[in-house]
Amino acid sequence: MKIILLQADSVLRAKSWAVQEGNFIRRLTQLGLLVFVFGITYGAVMGSFGGILGERFWQVIYSAVKVPLLLTATFALSLPSFFVVNTLFGLRSDFLYSIRALLATQAGLTIVLASFAPFTILWYASSANYRGAIVFNTLMFGSASFTAQWLLRRFYEPLVRRDGRHRTLLRAWLAIYAFVGIQMGWVLRPFIGSPDLTPQFFRQGAWGNAYVNLAKIIWSFISG
Amino acid sequence: MSAAAFLKDCESLCVDVHNLRFRRSEMLKWFKQLDKILRGDATRLSSLTDAEIKVPLGGISLVVLLLGVIYGFCVGSFAMIQSAGRAYQQFIASAIKLPMLFFLTLAVTFPSLYVFNALIGTRLSVVSALRLLIAALGVMLAVLASLGPIVVFFGLSTENYPFMILLNVATSTVAGVLGLKFLLQTLDRLVIVQQPKSSDDPDNNANDNPDNSQTSDDKPAEPTAAIEPTGESTTVKAKSVFAVWTTVFALVGAQMSWVLRPLIGCPTLPFEWFRARESNFFIAVARALGNLFS
Repeated sequence: MKIILLQADSVLRAKSWAVQEGNFIRRLTQLGLLVFVFGITYGAVMGSFGGILGERFWQVIYSAVKVPLLLTATFALSLPSFFVVNTLFGLRSDFLYSIRALLATQAGLTIVLASFAPFTILWYASSANYRGAIVFNTLMFGSASFTAQWLLRRFYEPLVRRDGRHRTLLRAWLAIYAFVGIQMGWVLRPFIGSPDLTPQFFRQGAWGNAYVNLAKIIWSFISG
Repeated sequence: MSAAAFLKDCESLCVDVHNLRFRRSEMLKWFKQLDKILRGDATRLSSLTDAEIKVPLGGISLVVLLLGVIYGFCVGSFAMIQSAGRAYQQFIASAIKLPMLFFLTLAVTFPSLYVFNALIGTRLSVVSALRLLIAALGVMLAVLASLGPIVVFFGLSTENYPFMILLNVATSTVAGVLGLKFLLQTLDRLVIVQQPKSSDDPDNNANDNPDNSQTSDDKPAEPTAAIEPTGESTTVKAKSVFAVWTTVFALVGAQMSWVLRPLIGCPTLPFEWFRARESNFFIAVARALGNLFS
């Protein structure tokens, strides 16, 4: 436990431990473990909106599992194209470092998220409004992502210094990651779980397209 | 180019095709060749001796075919999943049609590429030009196949047919842009390689940089990546001709995908191998954009 906290501290301070050379698989496992531990912490808090007793405990479990799942699945889907484009631009030798940097950023994101968990608990204690809870959690995710970008830039600094094209590729990664991640977040609903419905892992027949649905929601909001 | 040289080229092409073997070690070797192209090793200035890209024509074609089939399965998975497994014919049809799309586009545009090359004055033989195009197709399909998982994920989770059309247009555009960039830059390098080497005069370099300890091949830093612009550039005329050709390639590819439709397969329409001739690619995409939010 203490080791995990120490590692989390190193990641947040963008220490070179997170991205340096060494046993690649070991580093991946350590960073992956950080994502898992802090991800399920925030996920569990997210899912506790409708209470944690009885049947609602299942929502806590589902949400806890879904947060690391969301991050890992999005990462895995975006990776092949990132690899091919890196190779084409001659940056393959730096690829392993890139993966470590991106994973360390994900770990950083989950650590920051987990630190926001008390805010979420306070919000849940103050309001029973489901829509409000959704908005608040979106805000927490958004703030954590924003902070994580700062971390990412620090990790990527040595790469960009070596070759300016890494910056372009980083932007491409973020675009693909965001594109896939938004749909993944939509598909993995519910994260909070409406208190009126029984906890389920997936909502039946409610997959659909995040972008189209989001546009419809915004449009109906505008047109009243 | 003499008739004898042309016949020799055709013979080497036939030998290439004849030598296609399907053993697993051979397949792995050809994938490694594609990797070589992607890494830029096959198109380094120092590798382009005799204005030839040294890649096995038959081997890379097979890899292109395989990657096309894989991406075709990814594209066709939407129709199969959304109709709960009943539309497996679209799944198979897409896997067959996608490599067809690329090879037919190659066939349609290849004669004009060779002619434009001859007009510009590059001494690119028929087989070399073909190798160049196949290498570019390899790049395109490598990018497409790597975007396959994303296409499958969206196919799994959305029933919105216009969205899938636009997603596939987007992925094909990305792949096409990267592949054509590779093609143009390799053409640039082939032209440079064929230019008389007047800039390598060791005396000149020694005078300019007395403390330069480098040897006589003191060219500007050689581009090492597959997609990396060279410092020197070809003439404006060559550039505009190639620009026209890439536009033609893009247009042919787009319309070819329309002619070969359905590639994705509208889940509400019954399966057909080919739909009746009507409209064109660009009107269809515009319509998809319009129908996206309805």
